[in-house]
Amino acid sequence: MKMNFKEIKRHVMTGISFMVPVVVGAGLCQALGVILGGPNIADQTGTFIYFIYKAGNMAMGTMIIPVIAAAIAYSIADRPGIAPGLVVGLVSAEVKAGFLGGILGAFFVGWLVNLMKKHIKLPKTMQGLMPILIIPFFASLISGVVMFTVLGVPIAAFMKAFTDFIASLSSGSKFVYGAVMSAGSAFDFGGPVNKTVSLYTTGMLADGILQPKACHMVACMIPPMGVLVAWALSKIFHKPIWTNDEKENLKACGPMGICMITECVIPLAMNDLWRVVVSSVIGGSIAGGLCMMWDVQSPVAHGGWFVIPSFTHADKFVIALVLGSLIMGTVLFLLKRRLSEEQVINGSDYDPNENQEAADVNIEF
Amino acid sequence: MRIVGITACPTGIAHTYITKQKIVEAAKECGFPCHIETQGTIGVEDELTAQQIAEADVVILAVDVKISGENRFAGKPIVRCRTEDVMRNTVGFLKKIEAKLNSRK
Repeated sequence: MKMNFKEIKRHVMTGISFMVPVVVGAGLCQALGVILGGPNIADQTGTFIYFIYKAGNMAMGTMIIPVIAAAIAYSIADRPGIAPGLVVGLVSAEVKAGFLGGILGAFFVGWLVNLMKKHIKLPKTMQGLMPILIIPFFASLISGVVMFTVLGVPIAAFMKAFTDFIASLSSGSKFVYGAVMSAGSAFDFGGPVNKTVSLYTTGMLADGILQPKACHMVACMIPPMGVLVAWALSKIFHKPIWTNDEKENLKACGPMGICMITECVIPLAMNDLWRVVVSSVIGGSIAGGLCMMWDVQSPVAHGGWFVIPSFTHADKFVIALVLGSLIMGTVLFLLKRRLSEEQVINGSDYDPNENQEAADVNIEF
Repeated sequence: MRIVGITACPTGIAHTYITKQKIVEAAKECGFPCHIETQGTIGVEDELTAQQIAEADVVILAVDVKISGENRFAGKPIVRCRTEDVMRNTVGFLKKIEAKLNSRK
């Protein structure tokens, strides 16, 4: 089975898109339980709040890796991939190969199921057995055993080494680690780089390492806030920097920023790419570095301001968020050119249709 | 050129809909009738009807993830691309598609 990078990415992205709602739903239940019930919630069996906590906790503990594995296998091999995908994901969690093991295992499952679909030929009367018996049974059996015996072992060793490495970092290197990660998150406003960091941090989350996600979240929430800070500064100092069109976009940045939808900054960045990106990366990476250094932990994968109360060291997260937004806003305000009145009304001289080459078109007939 | 298509992005809350809007606006500018289905995290919205698909000259699949119901387009010319390919210079993108379709006829 030949697979190029683009396809691999599409499969992994499908996995992520199925996994995120599970992480958010279960993570929030768990976090809500901890907020309402206190740190000893796990011992308060039988109480109402315990049920909320436990429902989320069980799903966080067992479901995330199987779901991403099943979704990746589904993306590669369609429906027959789901069942063995779940199995390989569960085994990966069991042997401590974690998220990474789940992803690699899922590619193995997808490959295996496609192979079986292609090469096992049954008489017509028995073809119904393929999806209901043969593929689920043999694919689960083979991939499960392979994960236990071959695939899982080196991945588990790698995961342990990596986890130990993170734990051993000094506070200075922690800052650098958080800053580098967050720079990626703040770089392209929900684009491929941001999604790569998102993938990585969600994986860490699934493996119980909660700091990277906090760094990613702070850097996703800063750009919308930063452009608003720059807007406020332009009002205060009477330096027009936004066109009327952009001001319409800015209105959306408030509510969307609160919800951690960093994509709302894209139209503003498109008009003035390097200034917005540079300021965003500076603000985001400083805030991310601080979050990592201060050991801020996010038990959830998404949710913006609404989930901050569920964080460990939520107060410090807020400080980092405010600080990062102010830094980005100030840098952007200083970098931005002063616009003339005409430019404010008619837009800066940018015309996307003139400056940008359309993507190549490939038609399958 | 009659267009149908599907948009879908990994997170399924933003690019899916931005891409749709871009295609719809650009198609309007060019005078192309256009129907776009979105497959976001919320599920399928504005599902394409069999008639819309039958009448279409081209199918645009601007998707970063696996989508459902691809078999509906069997036998149709299909343009497969990423959401970001469509977002930059959408009008030019549609024009390129039209040129390629015409050169084939």
